[in-house]
Amino acid sequence: MNNCFVLVKELFEEFFALLQARGVVYAPVRVSAQSFSFRKVDSVSEIAFEALRTILPPKKFFYPQQETIITYEGDTIREHEPEIPFQILFGVHPCDLAGFGIMDTIFGAEPADNHYRRRREKSLVIGLSCMPDRHCFCQSMGTECPRGGYDLFVTDIGDEYFFSVGTPAGFELLQSARELVSAATETHRDRYKNFWNTRADSFTNGFSPDNLHSVLDMEWDNEIWTELGQRCLSCGNCTPVCPTCYCFDLVDIASLNGESGERRREWDSCQFSGFASVAGDFNFRPTPVDRLKFWYRHKLHGFDDPYGFKTCVGCGRCTVSCPAGIDDLVDVVKRLQKSRERVSHVTK
Amino acid sequence: MSLSSPLISAKGIIRTIVPMTNDNHLFEFSDSSGALRACKPGQFVELWVPGVGECPISVCSGRVGDTIQLMVRKVGRVTSALFQMSEGDWVGLRGPYGHGFPVDKYKGKNLCLVAGGLGVAPIRSLWQYVIDHREDFGKLILIYGMRHSFDLLFRQEFQLLLRRKDIEVYIAAEDTAGPEIPSLTVQLGRVTDMIDLAPISADFEVALCGPPVMYKYAVERLQKKGIPASNLWLSLERHMKCGIGKCGHCFVGGRFTCKSGPVFSLAELNLLPEVIECNHGGI
Repeated sequence: MNNCFVLVKELFEEFFALLQARGVVYAPVRVSAQSFSFRKVDSVSEIAFEALRTILPPKKFFYPQQETIITYEGDTIREHEPEIPFQILFGVHPCDLAGFGIMDTIFGAEPADNHYRRRREKSLVIGLSCMPDRHCFCQSMGTECPRGGYDLFVTDIGDEYFFSVGTPAGFELLQSARELVSAATETHRDRYKNFWNTRADSFTNGFSPDNLHSVLDMEWDNEIWTELGQRCLSCGNCTPVCPTCYCFDLVDIASLNGESGERRREWDSCQFSGFASVAGDFNFRPTPVDRLKFWYRHKLHGFDDPYGFKTCVGCGRCTVSCPAGIDDLVDVVKRLQKSRERVSHVTK
Repeated sequence: MSLSSPLISAKGIIRTIVPMTNDNHLFEFSDSSGALRACKPGQFVELWVPGVGECPISVCSGRVGDTIQLMVRKVGRVTSALFQMSEGDWVGLRGPYGHGFPVDKYKGKNLCLVAGGLGVAPIRSLWQYVIDHREDFGKLILIYGMRHSFDLLFRQEFQLLLRRKDIEVYIAAEDTAGPEIPSLTVQLGRVTDMIDLAPISADFEVALCGPPVMYKYAVERLQKKGIPASNLWLSLERHMKCGIGKCGHCFVGGRFTCKSGPVFSLAELNLLPEVIECNHGGI
């Protein structure tokens, strides 16, 4: 393998200057004592290398909270194609990279969503290693190690940054930095392996995922859903913070004279009471119990459609942002798994 | 200009508006894109009233040419706005979307079509298709139920259907008050009573479309007649907001109704949670 390189940490300022020359750089920035946010950064000192989960996942760079899709004037309908500046996302952790993979699949499926794709293509993603805290459970969701979705992935191996190359664009970026980086030696590789081994041993949160699919199937009528649903505020916090929640609403904004207007896409949440209602006032998920259960199933059991995959990446954002304290996914899974162990009729 | 966004509509001009009841009008639109010619029975299109919003509407004719007919009930924001519009005004149309009734699977088989209320619109696309290709199919039974006989849609067309020898039509209303013009023989009862009455046997393929509450009872009666789950085809109502499997509003369990459906076999639905339309696990 010749696609591994190292950069001495002291040279990161110069590497950062190369990134800035290519476009706008976004990275995690500390915004309060305990929260971080992906923001535009102009200098290395602004970057919070220690950041774990940002308030919102970096999906917002490809799929903004609100975007104009279509404009119309008179009887002319136009697709809205804004100028998209080239953007570099630095410091994306493995869970969020896995989130990109899922978003790419949904928005890339035919008919592909070109609004998402245009932003995705105008971006360079640089991943960054992290050490788990007590809410991280990417290990249980199989998203612990980066598998794609990045152009370059940076592992902190002490005095150096270890670069793994994900795409030709990432390779090309390193080539432009060849004055700064050097090929990784055996020692670097060993330190790289050590880092990931130590990291794997550092998880304190998680569950055994083997029976997740069937447990979710079997426990659809478990009383836990009623218990949690009754405490759910339907605030929808758990969805914008999720790296894989992609549901949206389409909204018309008309001008006052009605002659022109636009059609906008906005993030929506399956936890909002009217999400599954149809005209004529029929709601297919009328209670918080219905909605919460649906969300959990979608995250942990995943699609029944050909996609098949689960849509939780184990970042822990829902757990830390739920005001009712009911979105502790790991706890819920453990309780469901416990229900499996309880058999009402003992058979010999 | 190439229309590259899958969410962009093509312009459709309202050609005619035929009121069928107070709240149900049959709209005919010209289709500037030509894309809607590909419509198959049971599929749907997204109808956009600029400045108001979009809503999914089922295709209601067996063949779509330069124009497309849509039966619209004034029930929500978008449809109410459409009812304010006149012939000559324009709307947006995109589609067709979803998997409709599996007409290829129905070939050579006996067919029973069950419609409840406004569900008659998508079912109409199917009977028109079958009549267009009549020699490809076996017996054809059509059951149509509604609350009140004055809700009966496509009255003229039913008069012609009742005269045909190659289709058996059963119409039931829970309440009638006559006379209505043109007059039709309507039996007092429900869809389920008509299912009991009609000579449907286990070898029939059955296509159903109606309100959620209808399915549970209709399916029960049909299963009593020995029809297997794999021969029962239900068109589900969900809010198919984007129509292309992205926005998530139409999820039923882990499937997009707009992409995998709206027509599913009961055999498929039995594997999904959240299908309030039927009793699960009934074998």
